[in-house]
Amino acid sequence: MPRVEAAEWVGEPPVRDTDAVAALIPMVRRIVAARVADVTAAEDLVQETLARVLAASGRVEPGMLEPYAIATARNVVATAWREEDRQRRNQHRVVDLTAPDLPEGGLLAEEERSAVAAALARLSERDRQALLAHEVSGRDTRSLASELGSTAGAVAAQLHRARARLRVEYLLARDRTEPPTERCRPVLFALSSGDRRRQREVDAGRHLLECDVCAALSQPLLERAPQRDDEVRIPIGGDADVVAARQAARELAGRLGCFSPTDLTLLATAVSEVTRNIVKFAGSGEVVVEVLDEPRRGVQVTARDAGPGIPDVERALQDGYSTYAGLGLGLPGARRLMDEFAIASEVGRGTTVTMTRWCGNR
Amino acid sequence: MTGPRLVSILRQGSYLIASIHTALDDTQMTAFQHDLVERIGRDRARGVVIDVAALDVLDSFASWTLRTIGEVARLRGAVTVVVGIQPEVAFAMVTLGMDTGSVHTALDLEEGLEFLDRVVGPRRPAAAARGGSA
Repeated sequence: MPRVEAAEWVGEPPVRDTDAVAALIPMVRRIVAARVADVTAAEDLVQETLARVLAASGRVEPGMLEPYAIATARNVVATAWREEDRQRRNQHRVVDLTAPDLPEGGLLAEEERSAVAAALARLSERDRQALLAHEVSGRDTRSLASELGSTAGAVAAQLHRARARLRVEYLLARDRTEPPTERCRPVLFALSSGDRRRQREVDAGRHLLECDVCAALSQPLLERAPQRDDEVRIPIGGDADVVAARQAARELAGRLGCFSPTDLTLLATAVSEVTRNIVKFAGSGEVVVEVLDEPRRGVQVTARDAGPGIPDVERALQDGYSTYAGLGLGLPGARRLMDEFAIASEVGRGTTVTMTRWCGNR
Repeated sequence: MTGPRLVSILRQGSYLIASIHTALDDTQMTAFQHDLVERIGRDRARGVVIDVAALDVLDSFASWTLRTIGEVARLRGAVTVVVGIQPEVAFAMVTLGMDTGSVHTALDLEEGLEFLDRVVGPRRPAAAARGGSA
């Protein structure tokens, strides 16, 4: 008999424990719910509490299971609060800086890829090979040079040109535009490569005034060029820009340190005159002031517009020839104020005035 | 107009003292011209001093405007004197080929007022009032 009793007793406890723990569920729920508002979080904590109580039920004295469950529930909740608090304090450290994927993201990425692919396809075979070998396969310029029977410098220059061309073709492919004129690609390429001599040769500034497509496309190309402190470009669109242009010219020239206050005033006055001409006759244009080092140190001012042009440049350069109230001294006056003065004008296309003042004159 | 004033026109007896405080663009210059001519009539001014010491540049338009003010003021019975033209500005004006026409000039405000006292001549009642209020 005792053996049977013993056997019965041995088989009983697990059953009794589970039942006892199950009986605690409503109470544990109440305890946790009183402390944790979020229903799902509360249910998680209830389950964790029950799991712990169940695991410990063999060790807990009979009758003490309920207080044990209460204490466990409190501890579990307190631990959860601490954890939550710690996470909140450290949240800034784990903040996810990558923007979430937008629904259109995939589509845009696909367009980007196809634009890059289209741009690559428009490069010459040689440029494409060099670019892919260097950028994708990671070959350095020296190993490419030995393969091509060239020098590392020449390969680097070729890569530079290829990248410049790729940028232009990428922009064209992305916007799905075909440049409207023959001159567009050379101009955009000169801007993309940042080659100032080339930009002058193709008269990039003038082309941008005349061609809206290139003016829009050139923005990202110009923005990536490093900020130059020896050149200022002032878009001209109204009266206030006349003052802005002459002040910018004075400021840039003043930094050279080789001009007297009188020189600076003469320069500012000349800039004021040619800029006013843009406003009066063309409405808009641009003034570029740049430092020259060759053949001597000086300041060059280029004033461009895409206005009606001057039919008779010779006459416009004579004193007193004027079509507005300014006594006709604008151009001839500016010519006297500067050391060098050149004017190119074409009726229907616009006018470019280029004038220079050298350091240490007079 | 917001921000600091670009110009000020003050009355001093029968004179107006107009000061340009900063570089003006053409529109502002023209507005200044209109304001000043209007004030000449309203204040019955007999002399006008325009102080341009703050101007960095007197280009053809600015010079032409000053000249116009002078002519219009003369027709309205007032004498105009421009004061404070900086030496380098004067040099640029000469090189440019500008002059201020029939507008008188003086070195500074003090000389300008002295000049007006001389040419506007014997004080009329309005001028006497200036002496009284000073």
